Amino acid sequence: MRKKSLSKAFFALMLVLLLALAACNSESSSDEGSKGSDDGDKAEDKDKGGESEDGLYDISDFDKVAANDDEAIDGGELNFGLVSDTSFEGTLNYAFYSGNPDVEVIKWFDDALLDIDENYNYTQDGAATYEVNDDGNEFTFKIRDEVNWSDGEPVTAEDWELSYLVIGDPDYDGIRYGSDFTIIEGMDEYHAGKADDISGVEVIDEKTLKITFKQATPSLENGGIWPYAIPKHIFKDIPVAEMAESDEVRKNPVGFGAFKVDSIVPGESVVFTKNEDYWRGEPKLDKVTLQVVNPDTVVQALKEGKIDMTSDSFPTDQYPDNADMTNVQYLGDVDMAYTYIGFKLGTWDGDKGEVVPDPDMKMADKDLRKAMWQAVDNDAIGNKFYHGLRWNATTLIPPSHPEFHDDSNEGVTFDQEAAKQLLDNAGYVDTDDDGFREDPNGEELVINFASMSGGDTAEPLANYYIQSWEQIGLKVELLDGRLQEFNTFYDRVEGDDPEIDIYQGAWGVGDDVDPTGLYGRDAAFNYTRYASEENDKLLEAGVSEEAFDTDKRKEIYDEWQQLMVEEIPAFPTLYRAKLVPVNNRVKGWDVSSEANPYHEVSVTEEKPEINE
Amino acid sequence: MIPQMILLSILIFIVAQMMPGDALTGIIDPNIDPAAIEAQREALGLNNPWHIQYIDWVNATLHGDLGQSFRFKMPVTELVGQRLVNTVWLGLVTLIFTYLIAVPLGITSGRYNDTWLDQGITTYTYIGFAIPLFIFGLVMLWVFGFKLSWFPTNGSVAPGTEPGTMAFVLSKIKHLLLPALSMALIATVSTVQYLRSEIIDTKQKDFIVTARAKGASEQRVYNRHILRNSLLPIAAFFGFELTGLIGGTVFIETIFNYPGMGLLFIDSITQRDYSVVTSVVLLFGIASILGALLSDIILSIVDPRIRIK
Repeated sequence: MRKKSLSKAFFALMLVLLLALAACNSESSSDEGSKGSDDGDKAEDKDKGGESEDGLYDISDFDKVAANDDEAIDGGELNFGLVSDTSFEGTLNYAFYSGNPDVEVIKWFDDALLDIDENYNYTQDGAATYEVNDDGNEFTFKIRDEVNWSDGEPVTAEDWELSYLVIGDPDYDGIRYGSDFTIIEGMDEYHAGKADDISGVEVIDEKTLKITFKQATPSLENGGIWPYAIPKHIFKDIPVAEMAESDEVRKNPVGFGAFKVDSIVPGESVVFTKNEDYWRGEPKLDKVTLQVVNPDTVVQALKEGKIDMTSDSFPTDQYPDNADMTNVQYLGDVDMAYTYIGFKLGTWDGDKGEVVPDPDMKMADKDLRKAMWQAVDNDAIGNKFYHGLRWNATTLIPPSHPEFHDDSNEGVTFDQEAAKQLLDNAGYVDTDDDGFREDPNGEELVINFASMSGGDTAEPLANYYIQSWEQIGLKVELLDGRLQEFNTFYDRVEGDDPEIDIYQGAWGVGDDVDPTGLYGRDAAFNYTRYASEENDKLLEAGVSEEAFDTDKRKEIYDEWQQLMVEEIPAFPTLYRAKLVPVNNRVKGWDVSSEANPYHEVSVTEEKPEINE
Repeated sequence: MIPQMILLSILIFIVAQMMPGDALTGIIDPNIDPAAIEAQREALGLNNPWHIQYIDWVNATLHGDLGQSFRFKMPVTELVGQRLVNTVWLGLVTLIFTYLIAVPLGITSGRYNDTWLDQGITTYTYIGFAIPLFIFGLVMLWVFGFKLSWFPTNGSVAPGTEPGTMAFVLSKIKHLLLPALSMALIATVSTVQYLRSEIIDTKQKDFIVTARAKGASEQRVYNRHILRNSLLPIAAFFGFELTGLIGGTVFIETIFNYPGMGLLFIDSITQRDYSVVTSVVLLFGIASILGALLSDIILSIVDPRIRIK
């Protein structure tokens, strides 16, 4: 009896141990399992990519405008999908928004007063025209007479002035107050609370506004002016500190765009009806319904015709798998962004507000950096990971700025033999036969690489780079052995974590081509902490008086791009495409950044087409 | 309950502070002046040491002010208010579904244990245990939302419906059904199992044998004697059900893009919106504690033995 219970107990013990083992096992496998299933459709898409090896795409094959031979119907309704994994915050005013989803909503009902051309220069075709004085620092704007708020009130110079008064106000709680504003005369005094108004912003008459800048730079006409107005007749009694949370911003915002807000369900959807009085002409659609759509379900929503089209934020990695949807046409353009690998070359001096390059940094050797650029085959990455929707980048000014991107500059091309040669000559040789090169002092060289998580390609991509560098004999390790989450990544890169030697990041570029904000000596965003006198000189020349001549400015920036190719504080890896899927019934949508397609867009059928 | 809350608040606050980055880290845009961002940080008190921020926060919270959301730029109370309604409805409908499914299945399975019917139900519960909620949610969304188009796939209400009208209420319900059902079908399995084993256990007890010996009908034995006794643990389980529900909403709301507390929670974490994170976690914590309290109260009502005299 006693023996029996002992053996029973033993059996139970074994069972528990077995289960514990199984549990450990299943935990790790279920971990992977969940990842696997999460990425299930993505794994598929690699298979497909493998099958259609020739199935590479080229951004130049995409149309920018949804041309449609069919006749547009009268009126009609459009369902617009705002692709975002977070809800939109609902600060529906240009002066207060911070997240990208919000601005996608604002664009439907509010306009900038100034239009831009494909080079992001202001034109005279917008809601306001302007004249510049000979010194280039006084702008006189004239708002067109027919421009009215959607509630019928005219858009006045005072409305425009108000946006400056709000953003410059000490109580303003947004993030727009920056160098665009401090360059205006009298702004500093106003911001410090010493003046009641801004001496540089003058209302001449009801429709005329004059802004005086402290100095003239070519950037002013290149996205350097705040072009948005705030309706004074609505906001005049609201204290600045309470504006962002007011109903006038969140529930019933008023703009002078093609549509007006009919109703808002906070965070999820907005219904717009047309603004018949729109100054560019009556919009062709009667109604637009905007909904937030999760990137995971956006393709299904498109297929079933639940949405007609999406915002620019459509996840391009889902394109190769869904390129053959029968009911959808893809529009595309070069995105205003590039991916790059940055080398940490110094630190940031917060007190002085400038970068301090340190010649003793691990990556301080120019030849080492050049070899690392030579070692990676970005065209192969673009083809393998992105099906050609990202491609080899050459300079730090992307082709989304056609005027200033230097086509003739090829950057540094892929050549691993040359890279090895370069490293040999620079003294990076393998002295202890471990397969990796030591630094010129004979000490072991391990380069720590920080890369962000996000998307299914992040990890293989980082590994691909590490392998490429291994092939030329450099030992590169992923920081902490893993990818960094977005916030952690920028926190550490920004904080000049000494653990980080190189990092992979991406920049969206502004309308203004001037790269000072990213590579200048006093730019906090200059994460590589690179600075040199030559660089300072060129960047300064780019916004100087002589640069008012576009050819001259182009010359300066060509020179700067070349300098970056030689100095390599960072090297660009990939340029990218943005894609916008639109239903076949949509007509007249234009994805180029200078376009104003909102009143032009129409539909040719009552109901959206459905994928077969 | 009070000490629990204080401990909870400190924990939440410290953990929230330890997250790398802050609400302004995500705004990395060359069009925005870094100096403007730094000025905002200073103004928002993000540069203060954590204990000062904590005291500020507790002080405000005690005055009913949960602070200002950095990202939404509106008072957290208002923001939470908007979202809470959605989640409460979602939770309520889920609970109703959960018990609607659990009670009949549990009783059938317990009463006719070891029949093919019982085995069918048990199989379902095991599958339910095994499938992660977020996979199941996606499958449900794909099948019923997209393929069959029976339910809307997005949001909590059809855009453009007038609040207060019948259409608005119907649209709300329609948007609720699929997420609630997805969650209930998974959440219910543990309750089914509980009920089943409880019934099997009870029906072998002496007093049941007595009841049968006295000639009570089978119907009466089950309804009066077994069921009442078997429901006790279910009542005790109710509190945990609430906690589980909170975890569930986080997944389900993200999948269905249903703007409730769960989605708000995830959004505010990824965007480092501390004041929202702390408030939401605090509310979740309170809900759990209240759930446990509720269980105790219900238990004392249905079970005379543990009534406090």
